[in-house]
Formats: sequence, structure tokens, C-alpha cells
Amino acid sequence: MKGIGMRMLSGMIRTCVAIVVAVGMALAASGAELDAVIARGELVWAADQEGGGPHVFLDPKDPGRLTGFEVELAGLVAAQLGVKPRFQQGQWDRLPLLLGRAADCVINGIELIPERRRDYHCSRPYFAYSLQLLARRDGPLDSFEQLAALGPGGRWRVGVLTGSAAEIVMRSRSDLEIEVIGYDGTIDSLEQVQSGVLDAAVMDDCIFNFYADRFAGLRMVGRPFGGGLYTILTAQDTPRLSAAIDEALGTIIADGRLKALYDRWDLAGRQQVLALRDAAEIPTAGRRSLAQLARESLPLLLKAAGMTVLLSCAAFPLAVLIGLFVAIGRLHGPAWLRPLLAGYVEVLRGTPLMLQLYAIFFLLPKIGLALPALVAAVAGLALNYSAYESEIYRAGLKAVPLGQFEAALSLGMTKWQALRYVLVPQAVRLVMPPVTSDFIALFKDTSVCSVITVIELTKRYSVLALSTGRIVELAIVTALLYLAMSWPLSLVSRWFEGRLEKSP
Amino acid sequence: MIEIEALSKARGAVPVLSAVSLAVAEGEVMAIVGPSGGGKSTLLRCLNGLENFDSGAVSIAGHALAPGGHHPGLLERLRRDVGMVFQQFNLFPNMSVLENVATAPRVVARVPLEAARERALALLDRVGLSSFASARPATLSGGQQQRVAIARALAMQPRVMLFDEPTSALDPAMSAEVLDVIVDLARAGQTMVVVTHDHTFAKRAATTVIELVAGRVARSGPPATLLA
Repeated sequence: MKGIGMRMLSGMIRTCVAIVVAVGMALAASGAELDAVIARGELVWAADQEGGGPHVFLDPKDPGRLTGFEVELAGLVAAQLGVKPRFQQGQWDRLPLLLGRAADCVINGIELIPERRRDYHCSRPYFAYSLQLLARRDGPLDSFEQLAALGPGGRWRVGVLTGSAAEIVMRSRSDLEIEVIGYDGTIDSLEQVQSGVLDAAVMDDCIFNFYADRFAGLRMVGRPFGGGLYTILTAQDTPRLSAAIDEALGTIIADGRLKALYDRWDLAGRQQVLALRDAAEIPTAGRRSLAQLARESLPLLLKAAGMTVLLSCAAFPLAVLIGLFVAIGRLHGPAWLRPLLAGYVEVLRGTPLMLQLYAIFFLLPKIGLALPALVAAVAGLALNYSAYESEIYRAGLKAVPLGQFEAALSLGMTKWQALRYVLVPQAVRLVMPPVTSDFIALFKDTSVCSVITVIELTKRYSVLALSTGRIVELAIVTALLYLAMSWPLSLVSRWFEGRLEKSP
Repeated sequence: MIEIEALSKARGAVPVLSAVSLAVAEGEVMAIVGPSGGGKSTLLRCLNGLENFDSGAVSIAGHALAPGGHHPGLLERLRRDVGMVFQQFNLFPNMSVLENVATAPRVVARVPLEAARERALALLDRVGLSSFASARPATLSGGQQQRVAIARALAMQPRVMLFDEPTSALDPAMSAEVLDVIVDLARAGQTMVVVTHDHTFAKRAATTVIELVAGRVARSGPPATLLA
């Protein structure tokens, strides 16, 4: 026990050191300064093409070609620096983390807010947006004010893009009777409003204007509110690049090229330029002290860790049960059932968990089966892992000697009684080590559930890291929380193995 | 109690049993002897449906088996009346010795738990192993395991007991303790068919001996004349 404890402890310390070193290196690695960008001849700008129109998206007429007003803006800015633009893909809410490593700047509808100014250099604004509340045409929501009272189904369910200004604004409105749900994809929330899972969505008005035709069943509710400005992010340690980008923006605003660009994209160029000219200075957010960080973040991280435990403990027993029945069905079931079960296993093993979760959460509502996110997450994890468990059990059942089956049958047992009393108990003992190891794998795979709005530990970490700027400290706490949960699982698995070795 | 008529079975083109006919009366003990590969075990396994046969007919303990596959319900009813003991014992390692003996009566014959345990303890006592009731099978010697396997088969109160080389995996001392149990059963009037290499056993317990060579009954008769 002592030996295991010491090994685990030293493993934990090594893991923490590795995290600190990796994150530290990432932060220290200096982004290319202006002279390096010019020497390279390329300005690497980061965006998420999944983020959608009108910012950056794949041209529907020519899939494979990137288009959007920010693609053209990046071209204008790069030309002003005398270099070519090069696009770098990244996940939207983590784009700023690419600065200094994979990208020189981020141009992707990044809202100019105090938290951003604290952690990065924000250029002068290049676009003015407003937030817009959206709902179904035939739904009960007619005005923004209605959100202040409970709706027909209790609190209004409002979808937002994770990490966006819409999320920050809506989450800060404690005066409203709303439940805010964060989505990773820009128009995921529109899909969910359309299929009736959500009551409303809030997003930048230009995005909805762009997709309005596709979501003909939705309409804008009330006037735009709580607007803001988009900014180009650069790292804080590349001041000359930041200054050059500011100057480039100033030039293209002054010489009318930005207005022409927005007019071409039907984004009201003249209004934009007037708004940008009069844009007020945005303050810089203060950095929280460590004590304050702990006070604010720990309860949130612990709650998210609880969600991770809940997801694992609800999904895994289901996966084991389904997997056992699939394995028995494939070995002993009727002939017509066996190829169906083999297909079940192949489909679930051969497609990514993320895709399965996405299908359950976003596609099932289209046929009228809208599952709450938590139920969808548990179902997705259980189904996915049941395929792996069934293969383990199949191997375990086949490893039980045939003589055991014959002895049970010779006593007059039915096939099912032989399975129930003789074969399955022996198979379960055989497969205990791989099954516990799968439990630990599922435990970590719960982090994928964030794509369907479930906030578990990893998601909570990345949200907190972005809003507080304390990336390293929070990474250590998060890693410790994971280890604190998976360590007991490892001990249980070892205990089972030890027990198995002692018995014949 | 058992009647086999012209039973034949082939594996692919290779005949395993060729027109085997024999009969065993109630209370009789038949020993089947003969060289390895002569079809002894296959014949025995045809009697409780662990293997199918191609032609002929089997009637055992009032149940009739026809060539080809058998209905599961028929086999389950037949096997309640026909116990089997294997060369490798095949005790259930996930159960205690007592559970090995008591489980089938409980789940197959629906004997209440307490009655099943009492019956199992009595049978373990009969094979001299009642003090091992709570032990795991793996902690027992081979001879002890085979005696538990006999008690397990007897627990269903079968009308016929089939033994497939019950002492072949045991050293002489352990064989002797298993043989004593089987001889006791024979004296008590249990109808039995025993496949064996062991001629001393055949002489001690059998009423009839059949010699099976290349899937055919080569000789048959009382042990005194056949094994002299």
C-alpha cells in the first residue's frame, strides 16, 4: 500500500511539473514580432471556420475556399504590413491561446471586453455589433422584458455561444428568469431554438442576419441591446506588431476601404465607420489575487468535478449492462440477432464519441425526441462504451472452458440458467481488470460532453482560465482534481487484480 | 432403462459410431471399454444430447432421441433424469462445494433453498466430503473434486448416471477413492454407464462390459468372461 502510495504521489508530482513546464513554455515562447512577420512574409491570423458567417466560413459555392468579411479584412491588414495573410484554424473559445505559438494575431469576432484587455493586446476596434434576442415565430416570447418573469415552462432556456460576449452579458443578468446554456458551435443554439429545445438564443446581430434565411422559423425579438466592438488580438509581448496592426486599421478606416468592405458584405459600412470613429475607450480588468481566485474558482471547479463523477457513475454501469447483453446475444442469441449486434458494435466503435453525442443531442430533436443535455450525455457515453464492454465480455465468455457449459447443461439447466449461474459469473471475474481500466477511460472521456453543453471539469477549467487569465494555476488544480478522482479507481482496479491472482 | 438401436455417427466422411445397438436394464451397470478413439465417449455424449447422431434411435429414462438436432426443452427434461460425470470434473470454480451440489436442484428442479442445501450436505456426507462444504473446488484434490462432481450429478436424483472416464485424470490412490464411491452407488442399485480404461473397476462394479473398437461393438458380455 505504501509503495503504491509513494509511486502514485511521485507520479502526481511529475504530472504537475510537466503541466507547469508545458504551459510555461507556451506562455514564454514569444510570438513573432513585427520584423519576424515581415521577414517571414506572412501574417498568420487565427480564426474558427466553424464559427460561421459572415465572419469566416467555407464558401458554399466552392467548399474548400475560405471566405467572410474577416478573411478580406485579414488580407487588407496584411497588405498594409507588406506581407501575405495565412489562415490558422483553431477552436473559437481557445483562439487567444494560439497567440505566440501558432498565430501572430486573432481576427474572429473577438469582442473588446475588459478581460481581454487584461490578458492580450487589443487593437482599435474594426466592427460594431449588437446583441439580439431570437425566438421561434410561433413561440410565446414577444419581448425582451418577458424574460424577467417565468415563462410557460418555468425559467426561459436561452442558448449562447460559449465564451462570447452574449454569454457574459446573459450570465450577468441575475434580474432575468433565464437558464443560460453555452454551445460550442455558433449556430447550434439556433438549431436548438428551431427544434424547440431552447426558448431563445442571444447572439451578435450580424450572425443572425447572415443565417436568417436558413432559420426561417425564427425571428428577432425586441431591439438589439448590449452591443460592443470586435478587436484584433495580439500577444502582449509583441508591441510593435500590435502598433503596426492598429496603424493598418487606422489607414483602411480613413481611406474608405473598410467602409467599402462592409458595404460589399451588406454590413452597413457608413454606420460601422461612424461607430468605430466614436468608440469609447474600454477599461482593463484587474487581475484577481490568488486568494480571490481560489474563493471564486474552487467551488465552480468542485461542482464541475461532481458533474464528471455523476456522468461516469451513471454511464458506466449502463455501458456494462448493455455490453453484457450484447456479448451474450452475439454468442448465444438467435441467428438473426447476431449480425445486428455485430453491426451495433462496429458502428459505435467505429465512429467518434463526439459525433454520437452530437447526433443524440442535436439530431434526435428533429424527429421529436429532445433529450435534456445530461440524459443525452449519459446515453451517449453508455452506448459508446457498451460497444467496448461487449467485446471484453465476449472475450471473457469465450475464455470460460467449454466443459463448464457442458457440465451446467448436463444438470438440466437451460442455456440461460447456465449463463446466469455458471458462465457469466466466471467471465465477469476474468474481465474485471480491463473493465476497471475502461471505467477510468470513460471517466476522462466525459470531457467530450462539453460539445452538448454539459459543463464538466475540463470545460469549466477552460472557461475559468479564459475569464481569469490564471491558466497555469487553474491547470494544476484541475489536474489534481482529476488525479484525486482517478487514483481511487486505480486502487480499486489493483485490488481486483490482486484478488484475481489469489483465486485460481 | 436405456436402449440404443443402430446408432451411427460420422464426422465428415469418417465414421465414429457404426450401427451400435445395446440395452441397459434398470439397476444394471454397464462398462464401456476399448482403445482410445473407439467412440466410447462420443457414444456416452449421444445419450444425454451433448452430441447429435446421424441415424438410429436412443431411448433413455423414458425420453426418446432421434437423429439430428434436439429440441432444447426435450434435452432439459432428459438431463434432469440423466446425470453426467466428466473426466476433468468441471466443477464450477465460482461456487463453493456446497453451492456446486445445491444449485441445480434449486434453479432447475425448484427445490427450496433450505431443502436443496440439506440434500447437498447429505450427498457430500455420502461421498465423505461434508467437512469441505464451504471450501472452493480449487482447494480440493483431484479425487475429492471428482467425488463432489458425483454428488453434484446425484443431487438431481437422476435415474441414470453417465461417467466419462471418471478416473483417467487421477493417480491410483485418488482413483481408488472415486471407485469406492461408484461401487457403492452400484450396490445401491443406481443404473449407470461408465466409460473407462480401468479393467479392475469394470470387474468390481460392472454387470455387463461392452468393448467398442472403431465405432463398433466388438465384444460384449459379463466382466468375468470378457475381461478374464
